[in-house]
Amino acid sequence: MLLLLVGYTWVSHRQHQVNPDDTTIPSWSQMYKGVEKFIQPDQKEERWIVEDSIATGRRLFFGLGLGVVFGFTIGMMMGCITPIEAFLQPPISLLAKVPQTAALAVYFVFFGTGMEMYVAMIAFGIIPALAVTVYLAIKDLPSEMLDKAYTLGASHFEVATEVVFKQVLPKFIDAVRLAIGPAIVFLIAAEMVVGDVGFGYRIRLQFKLTNMNVVYPYLVMLAFFGFALDYCLRFLQAKLCPWYQRDSK
Amino acid sequence: MTAVEQHNFGLHCREVSHWFGDNKVLFDLNLKVDAGQFVALVGPSGCGKSTLLRAILGTDLPQEGEILTLQNGRLANADRPGRDRGIVYQKYSLYPFLTALDNVALGLKLDQTTTMFRWFNWSGWAKKQKEFRDRAAVFLDKVGLGQAMHLYPSQMSGGMQQRVAIAQALIMEPEIILLDEPFGALDEATREELQEMLLQFYEENKEAMAEGKKPPYTLIIVTHELNEAIRVGDRLVGLSQYWDWKVDGHQRSPGATVVYDKPAPVFRSDERPDYEMFADIRHEIRQVVYNPEVLQQRDEHVNLSPTR
Ligand SMILES: Nc1ncnc2c1ncn2[C@@H]1O[C@H](COP(=O)(O)OP(=O)(O)OP(=O)(O)O)[C@@H](O)[C@H]1O
Ligand SMILES: [Mg+2]
Repeated sequence: MLLLLVGYTWVSHRQHQVNPDDTTIPSWSQMYKGVEKFIQPDQKEERWIVEDSIATGRRLFFGLGLGVVFGFTIGMMMGCITPIEAFLQPPISLLAKVPQTAALAVYFVFFGTGMEMYVAMIAFGIIPALAVTVYLAIKDLPSEMLDKAYTLGASHFEVATEVVFKQVLPKFIDAVRLAIGPAIVFLIAAEMVVGDVGFGYRIRLQFKLTNMNVVYPYLVMLAFFGFALDYCLRFLQAKLCPWYQRDSK
Repeated sequence: MTAVEQHNFGLHCREVSHWFGDNKVLFDLNLKVDAGQFVALVGPSGCGKSTLLRAILGTDLPQEGEILTLQNGRLANADRPGRDRGIVYQKYSLYPFLTALDNVALGLKLDQTTTMFRWFNWSGWAKKQKEFRDRAAVFLDKVGLGQAMHLYPSQMSGGMQQRVAIAQALIMEPEIILLDEPFGALDEATREELQEMLLQFYEENKEAMAEGKKPPYTLIIVTHELNEAIRVGDRLVGLSQYWDWKVDGHQRSPGATVVYDKPAPVFRSDERPDYEMFADIRHEIRQVVYNPEVLQQRDEHVNLSPTR
């Protein structure tokens, strides 16, 4: 990390000796101006950072939330109810293979360019992968565990809620952690194409103006945001599933 | 079924036959287990002991014959796993996401409360949960795990895990408990401790019977160790495909059946048997059950007279 900072300083210093007005590798003072630009209110009395964070954050939150709920539910139903498994397994497996960024156009057509579009895109983008993860984790459970639950007086429903659910939960949280990366990719890509506010929109705009002193801090913030989300999920996993150890089968 | 019969009833396998395609595994197997019996089931590897247990459990139904247990006070077919039969596996014996205490309390919870109750009657459930955990704690104390109640299975040794697994099944007091080589993966010393533990439960059976009550624990334990069978079981049952099936007019072996069924010596839990004394039992079983060269009438060593 430190090496990266020092390296950057050196590269940008060299660049500015050649061309003092360079903005592709901004110096730290230029960077400061960039940060000031998106923290201070602009002519419209709007702070970019606030506007963009709210827009992107809301899209991501609702998209992820919807995707997580539906992905888990569909996966559980596929794993526990045989007719649903037969019905959903082929289409879900196929959908999981469609590249979401390529499917962007489809979402624009169906959902326009508003909030719904972003939410639908993120949700549909992660549902197949999450559902398949849950489904496979259920199929992976030794049948002995389920049979034993019946001998202990469980109903079908209780086997699903008391055994399958608890066993699958940590693997599902792992899957959500993995899905956050792609979800952010879809979102930023969509914002770059059709957004009028948000991280993706800002980055594309400022990049066109070669205002890299805005672009770089935005990238760092995005990385930081993803990292924070991941950390929260890991924390949640440790809280909800203290028994879970990834190394042991 | 009269009340007296109910009082003694454990399990009845009638004319059970099972095969997988061309592979004839079980043939015309009859086995009646009384409440309170500890049946040690032995037999050559691959003769179908696990298959029989799965049939009794109801996960792998026999092709022919019927298996009856007491379900809600009535004789019924064991055609799917149910609360009247308990199971202890060698692997997958515990739920990894529950502590020892909650593993043992799980059956009480599933059997005695409903999802609706747990989800919507929080205070009622909290009270029940405490009651179940207290009972589970007493039980864990009994199997010598008073100190380890809050450990997860991954934090316990194999021997501790099997103790918890046995407690988990026994606390339910089902009509019959099936144990498929429960100590197969344990070292000799741990095995012996666990045998002693099982014998403690056998003593509880005897106490209950002395008071005229139905004995709470009935079990079938599959083992490869003849000494273990002799020590833990009060009845030795040998399953084998080596019997004289030609006299019955079969062209090829129709499968394994019960070829040996005799009472076994009974020991106190604190008593270490002198295995030297049982050389003749072992010899007989080796000949009758394990030796492919010795083919006898299948009922020659089946002593169906009452064991007590
Ligand atoms: N699901 C199955 N499908 C096909 N054949 C099976 C199946 N389960 C068991 N068998 C066959 O049934 C026979 C008996 O197997 P089983 O596991 O019951 O033997 P076992 O007496 O428990 O042996 P061991 O002492 O080694 O555990 C074997 O020939 C086995 O190959
Ligand atoms: Mg077996």
